[in-house]
Amino acid sequence: MIEVRNLSKYYGSRAAVDDITFGVDEGQIVGFLGPNGAGKTTTIRILTCFMPATNGSATVAGHDVLTASMRVRESVGYLPESVPLYPEMRVREYLRFRGKLRGMDRAARESAIQRVVARCWLQDVIGRPIGQLSKGFRQRVGLADALLHNPKVLILDEPTVGLDPRQIRETRSLIQELAADHTVMLSSHILPEVEATCQRIIIIHEGQLVAQGSPEELRAKVTEGTSLIAELKGPVTDVSAEMRKLAGVTDVHAQAIDGWTQVTLTTARDVREDVYKVSQEKSWPLRELRRDIATLEDFFVKIVAGTRV
Amino acid sequence: MRNTMAIMQRELLALFCSPIGYIVIAGFLLINGVIVLWTGVFSPGKAATLRDVFFWMPWVLTVIVPAISMRMISEEYRSGTIESLMTAPLSDFQMVLGKYLAGVIFFAIMLGATLVYLVLMAAYGNPDLGAAFALYLGLFLIGLAFTAYGVFASSLTSNQVVAWILGWVPLLLFACVSYFVVGQVEGWLRALFQQVNVIGRFEAFSRGLVRIDGVVFFIATAALFVFLTVKVVESRRWR
Ligand SMILES: Nc1ncnc2c1ncn2[C@@H]1O[C@H](COP(=O)(O)OP(=O)(O)OP(=O)(O)O)[C@@H](O)[C@H]1O
Ligand SMILES: [Mg+2]
Repeated sequence: MIEVRNLSKYYGSRAAVDDITFGVDEGQIVGFLGPNGAGKTTTIRILTCFMPATNGSATVAGHDVLTASMRVRESVGYLPESVPLYPEMRVREYLRFRGKLRGMDRAARESAIQRVVARCWLQDVIGRPIGQLSKGFRQRVGLADALLHNPKVLILDEPTVGLDPRQIRETRSLIQELAADHTVMLSSHILPEVEATCQRIIIIHEGQLVAQGSPEELRAKVTEGTSLIAELKGPVTDVSAEMRKLAGVTDVHAQAIDGWTQVTLTTARDVREDVYKVSQEKSWPLRELRRDIATLEDFFVKIVAGTRV
Repeated sequence: MRNTMAIMQRELLALFCSPIGYIVIAGFLLINGVIVLWTGVFSPGKAATLRDVFFWMPWVLTVIVPAISMRMISEEYRSGTIESLMTAPLSDFQMVLGKYLAGVIFFAIMLGATLVYLVLMAAYGNPDLGAAFALYLGLFLIGLAFTAYGVFASSLTSNQVVAWILGWVPLLLFACVSYFVVGQVEGWLRALFQQVNVIGRFEAFSRGLVRIDGVVFFIATAALFVFLTVKVVESRRWR
């Protein structure tokens, strides 16, 4: 549904997006994750035909953003980051205007407005001027506008920023419902956010793509090479030697702690069961066995801190 | 087509729902009223013509017209709504055209309000309706050209006040220069100023002469600035 090939965007001589390539399949919810200034909005603006790329190409719903821009704009529903709306217009007026802009006739417009107003819980504010609405309602008006023409692709730039926890939850479940018949790409700089809603995560940092995959895949990538910490009551050298024998253990670090031996194992696979067996065979009591799990959050923080994985 | 109309309607709505629209109309009518009193066209014994009143009109319009169009594009940039417009399925030309048409319609409504003077004259005197028609046509043509220039000025900045000044000052200078300087210079410069002499061209209309080269000049100027506005809007995508 979305294909991005070697896309770059320069502001002057600074690269905001630097040679990124990724694809999004039909029906997926994809999270576009990156810290502030990573280039998320810039990428999204290229995909929605707001600005052209400096290099590379992108297609959305099978149409090239540069050569078939109108087709792309027809197939995309876009919620910009700042949710720009006309404050002097009433909600109904605004949605009618947007429907007309999209070339819908009166009947199509009115039924579409009814549908999105119900979907985005706007019934109570439909006659109010947009300028008087709270941030949460403005966000919903923006979302309603993005859904008006029932687009194949929905691109939402930070859809939950500035919302209260309840509204975040509502928006999330709405997005999940929408995924049934739309391909959704949403950006965020908050990991739990995308972890909760998305089937795939694309992480960018300083304009470059640093990781992509399902949350599970990314988690596996992180758990790879995690360390296991065990404390057994046995001689330091013996414990250390036994641990080295276990398949999958690449490094062992042992130290004595008040009569116990604490070993830190670097492993390529889960060896907790093997450690237990060793403790049984050698009759070394086991008082601690834990994985030093790196969370996706750590992973993300590491990326943000500048360490490439 | 429908999307151009959508832009136009929204623009008119914004003009009529904001104080600016009313301030502009009120200002325009006030200035006109003052000119009417000052020129004393309604005094007994004067010829029933609006020519003296409308002699000053182009100068007034240099101020008024850019005020109509000043926020049309600049405000879209300032508030960020340009992003939802430019990602909707309408071309940059359709967007600019919709806004331009709204400006023209607003101008026509404003100008229409001055018809009341004509009606009064017809009630108490015997104005030459043919000449009045030429006069109004001339003013409308000026409106076409000035509005296009005002929209152009609005596309250059994201500040309405700057857009107004960028619209007003060059129009005023241009009108002055072409009117007062044209007699002072010789040769090709004179030929050039004669071509772009807005006031001079309008004077022909105000004498009751509908000159075809005048009509072409104003319409071509309008087309040029609509085109330039589209180019500016397009080029701002690249920044
Ligand atoms: N119009 C612009 N002119 C110059 N530089 C810009 C412009 N827009 C963005 N940038 C720069 O490009 C980089 C990427 O910006 P972008 O807005 O795409 O980041 P982002 O990932 O959306 O960040 P955030 O999470 O804060 O929204 C930033 O360093 C930003 O300063
Ligand atoms: Mg952003």
